[in-house]
Amino acid sequence: METFKLLIVILLSSVLVDNYVLSRFLGICPFLGVSKKLDQATGMGVAVTVVMLIATAVTWPIQYLVLNPLKLGYLQNIAFILVIATLVQILEVILKKFSPSLYKGLGVYLPLITTNCAVLGVTINNIIDGYNFLESMVSSLGCGIGFLFAMVLFSGLRSRIDDSHIPTPFRGLAVTLIAASFISLAFMGFGGIVENIFA
Amino acid sequence: MKTNLKNLSVFICICAVITLLLATTNFITAPIIEKNQNASANKALLEVMPDGTGFEKADVADKALPATVTEVYKETSGKGYVIKLKTAGYGTDMIIMCGVNAEGVVTGAVCLSSNETLGKEKEYGVNFKDKDAADVEGVDIIAGATKTTEAYKNAVKDALNTAIIMGGGSVDIRTEEEILADNLSEAFPDGEKKFEKLFLVEDIEGFDAIYTATNGKGYVFVKGEQFIGVKDDGTVVTKDVADASAVTAAVATIKATVLEDINITKYADLEATVLSAKKTATGNFVIEAKGAGYGIKGGDEYHPASNEYIIVRVSINAQGKIIDCLTVSQAETKGLGDQCADPKFYGQFAGKNETNYTEIDAISGATLTTNGYTQAIERAYAAVKILKGGAQ
Amino acid sequence: MNKKSSLSVLLNGIIKENPVLVLILGTCPTLATTTTVTGAFGMGLAALAVLVCSNVFISLLRKIIPETMRIPCYIVIIAGFVTIVKMIVQAYMPALYETLGVYLDLITVNCIILGRAEMFANRNPVVASALDGIGMGLGFTLALTAMATVREVLGAGSFAGIAIPFMENFKIEFFTKAPGGLLVYGLLIALIYIITKGAAPVKTSFSCEGCPHAATCTIETCQKKGAEN
Repeated sequence: METFKLLIVILLSSVLVDNYVLSRFLGICPFLGVSKKLDQATGMGVAVTVVMLIATAVTWPIQYLVLNPLKLGYLQNIAFILVIATLVQILEVILKKFSPSLYKGLGVYLPLITTNCAVLGVTINNIIDGYNFLESMVSSLGCGIGFLFAMVLFSGLRSRIDDSHIPTPFRGLAVTLIAASFISLAFMGFGGIVENIFA
Repeated sequence: MKTNLKNLSVFICICAVITLLLATTNFITAPIIEKNQNASANKALLEVMPDGTGFEKADVADKALPATVTEVYKETSGKGYVIKLKTAGYGTDMIIMCGVNAEGVVTGAVCLSSNETLGKEKEYGVNFKDKDAADVEGVDIIAGATKTTEAYKNAVKDALNTAIIMGGGSVDIRTEEEILADNLSEAFPDGEKKFEKLFLVEDIEGFDAIYTATNGKGYVFVKGEQFIGVKDDGTVVTKDVADASAVTAAVATIKATVLEDINITKYADLEATVLSAKKTATGNFVIEAKGAGYGIKGGDEYHPASNEYIIVRVSINAQGKIIDCLTVSQAETKGLGDQCADPKFYGQFAGKNETNYTEIDAISGATLTTNGYTQAIERAYAAVKILKGGAQ
Repeated sequence: MNKKSSLSVLLNGIIKENPVLVLILGTCPTLATTTTVTGAFGMGLAALAVLVCSNVFISLLRKIIPETMRIPCYIVIIAGFVTIVKMIVQAYMPALYETLGVYLDLITVNCIILGRAEMFANRNPVVASALDGIGMGLGFTLALTAMATVREVLGAGSFAGIAIPFMENFKIEFFTKAPGGLLVYGLLIALIYIITKGAAPVKTSFSCEGCPHAATCTIETCQKKGAEN
């Protein structure tokens, strides 16, 4: 029961309170770049979640079964980024071959994910926070959902911005960032809720 | 295929070169990083042991340490120990870190976390610096924060004992109450470890205190360091007692004492000040009187919102000497006035008489409580006078 | 290569193609590490070191690295230098290491570095690549420090950890929090537009220039860009 509670807290806090995009700024590039349309935002969000889960499932054992016993902790960064890059490539090939329709939906976002700092960030953070395998997976799932959630919300907001009259200096990225600021402000409201859910 | 192989070998070469670079950097920086990490982990420890060079957590699994000790760190070059303790303060738990060097001198004490009301614990630790066990005993408790500072002082004492135990020595880590309980059950095993102090109504000279087993099987007489167990029929259980007959006689006196209730409703003057009065055949009185302490809205007895009196039970012999005194109930301020329920306070009255019963050490920071207490005794004396007059 | 052009390479990164304010690259560290001036400056210098090292290394190997394997090679090289910088910071500047935390690791995926490798270092000689690295790194550091100054002065009432009299009594903590970072970034971009009167090539949206995947990317607009390349 205690473990279950802990898992729920990890999940909720990584979706809401410590939302990777809005409070830790990880993966902010695709957040600003690919959130113009709802379908793109959803596709990117799902793709990121899938890659995060697979990457964690692979990097966690690498850290604890290979790097730590061999005292090669300093290769963490290289190993993780290579694993992520390779995974993304493999995933792309597999999707292309076996499910062209899914590839059309998700595959196009995959190359962008290699340099998405949210994916590398979540794998490294799981190690830093000392999560066990199950907790790491839950935390990755939470981060992915949080990313998807933020993307979908923001794409809705952006479609409204496109229709409004905005002073010239603010056109484009400036107003996008300011709008993101307000969404982030709204998410700050979740602070303190999760810890007290079971209290 | 050939180009692929060539490409792959280039890639592998690059990986190898980078790995080599990393390994070299790691070789140079790893010791420094480790030193840094130790330094930051030891920051709190260094605060209480500034001379320390390195610390490691000591294994305390097989050691009997005071209950307050949570962690023990050993200074790696043998300069002493840093002990982390958790003790109950006035409000919540206090976490105290205390360093003790190899000579048994406190090198520093800090309170890491607390929620004490007065905040006195923040700088109180300074008082213990560079003091040994005997000097620590002499550190003053701060008036107005007695509970907090007393708990702090006890924690420091526990830390000193822990250092001795960790160094291979042995220390009595029992509390005063535990020592007393152990002594009592040792003197009279039939008492099944449950004793309470006997409230004396007859003068029994030559003993410091008398305890009775709650199962009624006997008594324990305390005389100096000696604990004498006695059965209910007067048989002395403890061996090598010099004056066994005195003990037997004392038991006979105790058992022979019959208290006769006095109906105080007959005395209009007493109804407001005294709860009950009893009398022995030898002319001693046992009075339960009430005094207006701080629990009575600042000592004002006639205040409409009055609530709780200090109830004092006192036994006075025919010559007007106080044989024994006990606090029955009180509702004084927690941590201050409630010390009137402490045997250390009310024990002072035993042996005093009508002229000098006010010459006691007052409770610091609780003048109204002390005044209320002496008021109760004053009323007891007044009651004895009236009752004696009525009896004639 | 004459003196003037090497100077222009250097200045290019600082002003005309400032990676943060004009190219809008490396947004994560820009937002995350600019709560304090010290952190931002440290982050800038760490990125500068990685940028210069990887640019030089890649430029040196530009004839050896096979075209098809270049992205993995770049990633390995960058990740390697990031780890080296991280270890050095951890050993000699533990306080800064504490401040930057995981963001130091994330320099690996900072688009600026991979972007410069792809767009400059792999087709220019060593000296120019080094200068480009220094210029871009300085531009990154300057932009980060400027943004951190705004956020720390308003949000914490201090500059580089030193309290400013008067200001410290009127802290607006909002600025040190996540939304404050996004707001200040947005306002700064607008300010650059106003100062340069729209002359600077301010990006109106995210496009694929600077994106290392432009050539391989399958998103429609990027495909077009890739084709043009």
